[in-house]
Amino acid sequence: MIDLVWVANHLSTIGASVWEHVVLTAVAVAIGFAISMVLALLAYRFRWAYGPITAVTGLLYTIPSLALFAILVPFTGFSLLTAEIGLVSYTLLILIRNIVAGLDGVPPDAREAATAMGYTPRQRLLGMELPLAIPVIFAGLRVATVTTIGLVTVTGIIGQGGLGQQIFLGLQLAFPTRIYVGAIGSVLLAVVADLVLLRIQRRLSPWDRPRDT
Amino acid sequence: MTAHPRQAATVEFRHVTKRYDTTRTDTPGAVNDLSFEVPAGKICVLVGPSGCGKTTSLKMVNRLIEPTSGQILIDGVDAATRDVIELRRGIGYVIQSTGLFPHQTIGDNVAVVPRLLGWDPARRQARTDELLRLVGLEPASYRDRYPSQLSGGERQRVGVARALAADPPVMLMDEPFGAVDPIVRERLQDEFLRLQDELAKTILFVTHDIDEAIKMGDLVAVMQVGGHLAQFGPPAEILSNPASDFVARFVGADRGLKRLSLIRVGELPLARPVTARVGDDAGEARARVLADSFPFLLLVDADGRPLGWVPRSAIPPDGPLDASLADPTSPLLSPQSTVKDVLSRLLAAGVQAGIVVDRDGRSLGIVTIDTIATLLREGGPR
Repeated sequence: MIDLVWVANHLSTIGASVWEHVVLTAVAVAIGFAISMVLALLAYRFRWAYGPITAVTGLLYTIPSLALFAILVPFTGFSLLTAEIGLVSYTLLILIRNIVAGLDGVPPDAREAATAMGYTPRQRLLGMELPLAIPVIFAGLRVATVTTIGLVTVTGIIGQGGLGQQIFLGLQLAFPTRIYVGAIGSVLLAVVADLVLLRIQRRLSPWDRPRDT
Repeated sequence: MTAHPRQAATVEFRHVTKRYDTTRTDTPGAVNDLSFEVPAGKICVLVGPSGCGKTTSLKMVNRLIEPTSGQILIDGVDAATRDVIELRRGIGYVIQSTGLFPHQTIGDNVAVVPRLLGWDPARRQARTDELLRLVGLEPASYRDRYPSQLSGGERQRVGVARALAADPPVMLMDEPFGAVDPIVRERLQDEFLRLQDELAKTILFVTHDIDEAIKMGDLVAVMQVGGHLAQFGPPAEILSNPASDFVARFVGADRGLKRLSLIRVGELPLARPVTARVGDDAGEARARVLADSFPFLLLVDADGRPLGWVPRSAIPPDGPLDASLADPTSPLLSPQSTVKDVLSRLLAAGVQAGIVVDRDGRSLGIVTIDTIATLLREGGPR
């Protein structure tokens, strides 16, 4: 079972793993979000681009994660870059789909009113369409973040991985405490990240609440 | 409201055509060689069955739809030659579904165009509060709420306030009161007409409801499928003199009755019944009633306010007239009442005549069912 004495003696190691896990996730989601935003706006503006974009990102999404990291190693080595390329590519499909869905969900009458009142296309996008898409975009961000936190553990196999590394070390050393620390830690991290993002979404979209009665 | 007279602009359609299919002219929403002019400060209602092109016509004014050919002139300037963004910021736009931004508060929604125009926050806030008050919403309790927290009627009022925010000379309204229940709709219509009395905007108003067209319009453009203008003129003319079978059918078989809603009692020739004051000599009054074709005496109080009718046979042969003789069933009418309202009140009261009284309640004369029947036969005052 869990060796609590070991845990108590290694809090700083565990803390470093958690921090590494958070950074790997945050970097992956941030880069993924930036790429997705560009591609989603392209797909939103030019409808014909939506099919190819989702086809390619969908293909990336279907590659098993272990295989993807293995394929990348000959090119980028056992590096942070390898880990991030893999992690980022898994966020794209979810994020792009949600950004486009969020923009598509903007009420057509509000969009028409904005145009009729003299919004330029850019003002309309920044002032109305993106703000209104926030709840759906954040739903995508939450799924992408939770998924990434899970995938980061897999990058332990290429020497990255934050809490994932604890799991791999635990397996190698036949020391279950490390396995538990890694597993429970990443689950907790996912739950916390999800709640934090939900909080931020509520803050950013105060109108999106059950009606006052 | 500020007291200075508000600006308004003329809007002129000159041979405006919109085709969606070059081989056909009758696709829904198409417009065919539309020409008419709306003078500054007037409400012009575009009315017609669905697919007749009325909404298309409206949207060509602010260039949400570009005409295939023809021009729309606003104060003599072709809209097509103006910068589209600047053009739109100068035209108020109200639609049935309101188009309010769900993510902005009521205050921010009203201030959309002033914000686009770069007004400073203090001026925006002052204007927002002024407008909310104007449409009957208390700024303190509405300013910070979101559209989803308002009723349909309240949202419509916000929509009107938003369209008025930058004081545009022209307003486009597409079935603005179509999504609310009939009672709220009538109230919004009345309030809007009262508002328009002050604002005197040039308004293009789309509806499929002929009653609304007659009520709201200074001018009515009846359109038929294919985007043809079937008739253009003041509502009274459309009703009394429909230009075609289509218009006659569209305004309905009861157009005679509808016309009554355009005429106010004050415009009618009022009959002068034999009148006597309380305390006058009954014998003398009786003699006058006997000499008149109308067999009733109108009894008024010392100030000339009607008390009611005394039938010829009930007038005593002599002595002073007493207030208790009067039968008060006749309705008292304001000169501002429409003839349609008067007719229904007379029918409801089961009487032949109503007494028209001035602001102080003094009798001005009477209107009878006969007067109204004559009006229906002859076409009446325009």
